[in-house]
Amino acid sequence: MADKVICITSGKGGVGKSTITANVATALAMKGYRVCAIDADIGLRNLDLVLGLENRIVYDLVHVVEGVVPPEKALVKDKRTKNLFLLPAAQTKDKSAVKPEDLVRVVEELRDKFDFIFIDSPAGIEEGFKTAVAPADTVIVVANPEMASIRDADRVIGLCEAMQKSEPKLVINKIDPKKVARGDMLDVDDVVQILSLELIGVVPEDKNMVAYINRGEPAVLFPESPAGKAMRNIAERLLGKEVPFMELKVQEGFLDKLKKLFGSE
Amino acid sequence: MGFMDKIRGAFGRPPAKEVAKKRLQLILKYDRAGLPPNAIEAVKEAILNALKEFPFIDVDGVNIHIPESDTDGKIEIEVPVKNN
Repeated sequence: MADKVICITSGKGGVGKSTITANVATALAMKGYRVCAIDADIGLRNLDLVLGLENRIVYDLVHVVEGVVPPEKALVKDKRTKNLFLLPAAQTKDKSAVKPEDLVRVVEELRDKFDFIFIDSPAGIEEGFKTAVAPADTVIVVANPEMASIRDADRVIGLCEAMQKSEPKLVINKIDPKKVARGDMLDVDDVVQILSLELIGVVPEDKNMVAYINRGEPAVLFPESPAGKAMRNIAERLLGKEVPFMELKVQEGFLDKLKKLFGSE
Repeated sequence: MGFMDKIRGAFGRPPAKEVAKKRLQLILKYDRAGLPPNAIEAVKEAILNALKEFPFIDVDGVNIHIPESDTDGKIEIEVPVKNN
């Protein structure tokens, strides 16, 4: 597997980088792969929250970079999924505490011990982003189908090109089929056409996502979650499988069902 | 075309997603090229001023836009000729 080290980035904040990282990492670990998820958002750590591991952290990435502990010692073992490990960000330091060459070195030390290493990038396009992308074999850009997110994603794509990374892959997150059907929200095809990247995931808006994060339980653990299914599909595609993209269905309300029943559609 | 589209059509407003797409295509063109935000407007103004000298050109109908299938980094300028 050539694409072992994968950086998840976006430019804009709040588009779902940590959620995608935690879930795709969990999905691959559930399939038996050894997976490490590194939180590169120094000072604003939150990947631990999505995985529900916040109270198990002893050492963090900055301790590793400063040589306080070796990388293995800082890894937090996931409480549910075997083979999944978190390397947490420091919460009290700032982004300059880890330089690109530092993260490259840490990842090199971990590379042989894992099948996949995910790096959850901070928002923005400054040093923290450049550090997160530096060790990556593959970059995944997460974008929401909305103006600011797409514009920022395009900036990130340009910077990846300037850093001579291979062309990033695209995840469209928080797409709402209802708003798309109304003509209010950009559709998958629109976003792909605007950014012209290879699509690797389409994750629908999921009303239960807040609850999953609040409980520290990744959505991929729940078969009934549409977003969870979409993120399991991303994991499959990273394994080289051809998985068709889920059809985005408008959730039918009571009135819609009634209309159908009386054949008025 | 759905019922809501027809209502919208009656008010002459294109769907928000079409507006977003057009705006984004233009914005990204500027961002990628590092152009100042008023670049196209400046070009447009210069072209319009030049075209005013020719009475057979419908200056009000000049349209500057990104082509639908936009892959080659072009901006199209339509210059209509008046029908007499």
